[in-house]
Amino acid sequence: MTIFLPLVGAIVLLALPRSGARFAHRVGITTSALTLLGALAMWWRGVGTGFSQIEEVAWIPSLGAAYRVGVDGISLPLIVLTAVLFLASFVFSAKIDERARSYVSLLLLLETASIGVFAALDMVLFYLFWEVTLVGMYFIIAGWGYAERQRAALTFFLYTLLGSLPLLLAILALYLGSEPRTFDMRVMIDAPPLTGLAAMLTLVALLVAFAIKTPVVPFHTWLPAAHVEAPTAGSVVLAGVLLKLGTYGLVRFALQMTPDAFRAAAPLVIVVAVVSALYGALAALAQTDLKRMVAYTSVNHMGYVVLGVAAAAVATDAGTRALALDGAVLQMVAHGLVTGALFLLVGMVQDRTGTREMGELGGLLGVVPLLGWSFVLAAFASLGLPGLAHFPAEFQVFLGAFGVYPLAAAFAVLGIVITAGLYLRAIQASFLGEPTERHVVMPDLGLREAWAVVPLLLLTILLGVAPRLVLDVIARAS
Amino acid sequence: MTDVAGELRMAHDLALMVPELTLLVASALALIAEMLRRPTWSLWLAGVGLLAGTVLTVPLVGTETTVFMGTYRVDALAAWSKLILFPAAALVLVLLRSEIRGKAREGTAYSLLAFTTLGSVVLAGVGDVMLVVLGVLLASLGSFALVAFEQDDRSTEAGMKYFVFGSVASALMAFGLSYWFAAAGSTLLSDLAALETMRVAGVAGLVGVVVGLGYKAALAPFHFWAPDAYDGAPVAIAAFLSVVPKVGALFALAQVVHGLPDELGWRAALAVLAVVSMTYGNLAALTQTSVVRLLAYSSVAQSGYFLLGVIALGRSELALDSLVVFAAAYAAMNLGAFAVVMQVGRELEDFTGLGRALGWLGAAMVVFLLSLVGIPPFAGFAGKLLLFGAAIDAEFAWLAVVGILNSVLALAVYLRIVVAMYQRGARTLRPLRPVLFVSGLALLLTVAIGLGAEAFLVRPG
Repeated sequence: MTIFLPLVGAIVLLALPRSGARFAHRVGITTSALTLLGALAMWWRGVGTGFSQIEEVAWIPSLGAAYRVGVDGISLPLIVLTAVLFLASFVFSAKIDERARSYVSLLLLLETASIGVFAALDMVLFYLFWEVTLVGMYFIIAGWGYAERQRAALTFFLYTLLGSLPLLLAILALYLGSEPRTFDMRVMIDAPPLTGLAAMLTLVALLVAFAIKTPVVPFHTWLPAAHVEAPTAGSVVLAGVLLKLGTYGLVRFALQMTPDAFRAAAPLVIVVAVVSALYGALAALAQTDLKRMVAYTSVNHMGYVVLGVAAAAVATDAGTRALALDGAVLQMVAHGLVTGALFLLVGMVQDRTGTREMGELGGLLGVVPLLGWSFVLAAFASLGLPGLAHFPAEFQVFLGAFGVYPLAAAFAVLGIVITAGLYLRAIQASFLGEPTERHVVMPDLGLREAWAVVPLLLLTILLGVAPRLVLDVIARAS
Repeated sequence: MTDVAGELRMAHDLALMVPELTLLVASALALIAEMLRRPTWSLWLAGVGLLAGTVLTVPLVGTETTVFMGTYRVDALAAWSKLILFPAAALVLVLLRSEIRGKAREGTAYSLLAFTTLGSVVLAGVGDVMLVVLGVLLASLGSFALVAFEQDDRSTEAGMKYFVFGSVASALMAFGLSYWFAAAGSTLLSDLAALETMRVAGVAGLVGVVVGLGYKAALAPFHFWAPDAYDGAPVAIAAFLSVVPKVGALFALAQVVHGLPDELGWRAALAVLAVVSMTYGNLAALTQTSVVRLLAYSSVAQSGYFLLGVIALGRSELALDSLVVFAAAYAAMNLGAFAVVMQVGRELEDFTGLGRALGWLGAAMVVFLLSLVGIPPFAGFAGKLLLFGAAIDAEFAWLAVVGILNSVLALAVYLRIVVAMYQRGARTLRPLRPVLFVSGLALLLTVAIGLGAEAFLVRPG
């Protein structure tokens, strides 16, 4: 039900052709707020073991495809996260006047698709929503991005389509391997249909698909370009929600539907995850553009998620497995909130100064204290300060990974040190010191901006202080 | 006694061919109307014939039989070809009317279009090699004239090329098929299993039939006529050629190879052809500056995708489904795309600013193009899902991998149009009603087939 709420909003908006920009944004905010309420209602109803709140409608019965949705402890937190981030994006982008109706409709479509991916329990449905997110994001970047947007959008679409088509093959392989043939994901998870070589080939296709989406090194090259050119709200959604589709798929498909093959391939995945975490951190360190830097830290953080998932795949005792997997899911949520906030704040800096180059900024903490301190808080969260969202997540991931691959965990921890360094450097360059002459006077956080970013920061603190709130739900699944 | 039985049999057979006969009569009447200088009557006769044929086909869905001693099949492919191609041709009529209204020989075009459609559906039901030749000729002769309709230099050249290419290909096919007749001692496709022991003759015939039907379906490397012919013909005729005879020929290929013994290696041969068609079609489309030529090359690539389903025949129960669903999807989305071209213009630069000038038409074009790539929830996705599934099921997983790589190429091709559409530089366009009608209907079908693929699945009983 909640899935299609944004779509209804989009249709309403398109059906009223003469409405102005203000009206469009009002529809966007209202719809996404209602969606958030819906998501919270789902949270309230809670999850049992396995999948809950299932809805099933026949679709293509001859092929065993149906409209099947439901949630478990892994998908529910991500759905709520999606609803939160979209609401923040809508609030933040309420200033966009250019073709506001199309913009809001596309973003609403994207919201439906994102929630749909997390809720889908049918592989065809999953793939359908998955591809719609690509199309929606393509048009958001191409239509409302910065200077090089056409190119960036094209790269994004081609690259991620290249990633999603192996997923289609894997889905078909799983389908053809099941007996009787079905696209029902619950069946696949309860009794993984493939074994041996077929399972391994399927896993390879899945890993390629999700590695591009997540992204991990060496498939990450589309990410910085897309982020740099995307409008702020686009970046928030891209980093906060769409990257999670990759890691969510990794858990849902690779880990749960081809577990044996994943176990065999885990060492390789772990190497990729560690390299990704370190490379992402180092590459972020080398950036002078704030937005690019935040984009690369995503590669680093998603590396930890992959590490956690891979550790869960090999872990023999249930405790370690749960530790690593819970940590990975919590890390997804934390990254969504924190990186969402960071992209919003960088967007605000750019709106005020017209630049994101650290060298051209300085002393922002003095000029715009609220914005500045918000950035510092988000940055500290992102580097894993205890008491903020990333800490419990990364702690669990490392603890879980340490139980299986101590060496890999040790290397990965180095990433945190680098991240700490790069954020401190960024804060020093842009927010401390003397303000540059051009940027002496500018307005601090406006009401609209505060409404977008403050809830994310509050949730970051809440998650850091009381991770149990979410972990208890996640733990139902593992 | 025997006479009565024979007559009953004859009546029974004819009853199963009512849709074809209806269209035949309608086409002939349309021609007569043209002789009476009543082109509008021609239009209505052809249109009504096509729609009546569609309606009369509905009771035949689910029938699995042959008529006239096995030479003509009344089966799923035959029925679906009519249900798909008749309405598609009717939509082309709507487009064609607005393009050639008031020109000399207007009614001839409608009549020829109906005859060509008849040839195409005959191809889809072939049960005999002689009927293959007949179908190709019937579907070709009208097309030659339709391509050259405008009678200017460009269209005459296009028609001439098409004619020469078609004649040679048909001759080669007839020559190759004579080997099959000599070897198997029968012209029936169902007797071709006998070729198992006669590989040389079997392969010679296979080459012939692949050349002949490959030309009709514009499979690379037998596609050379297609870009020129599409470019020289009226846009509506290009749309027609890219859908109706093509689907007919591909269904005919399915009918022919289905009965062939595995020993001839037809699956491997068609797999190679599929790879060449998909890859060459997409690569060539990448460099076109004319949208008509771009769509011509992309239709070469789409033919390659069809082959995935043909190859899987006999090995996967998804094969038949995939052919039918993809044919329906392809007809809807390709006709839609050509309808938009008719409104906007043949060149890529004509598309600049379309998304801003005519928002809904632009959005429809985006849907058609994404559907051609195979992005859900549109029709092309349902088709490709089944095609890839059939290929993997038939142990041609590598072909499915080539197919997905080509989908990425295809996206690059189609996005060139999308990018142009949303560039600045809007111009004013006065929407043409027939275009809006056809593209709107095609849009509806592209979405409906994508979501309601169940209705197209061929299930016994």
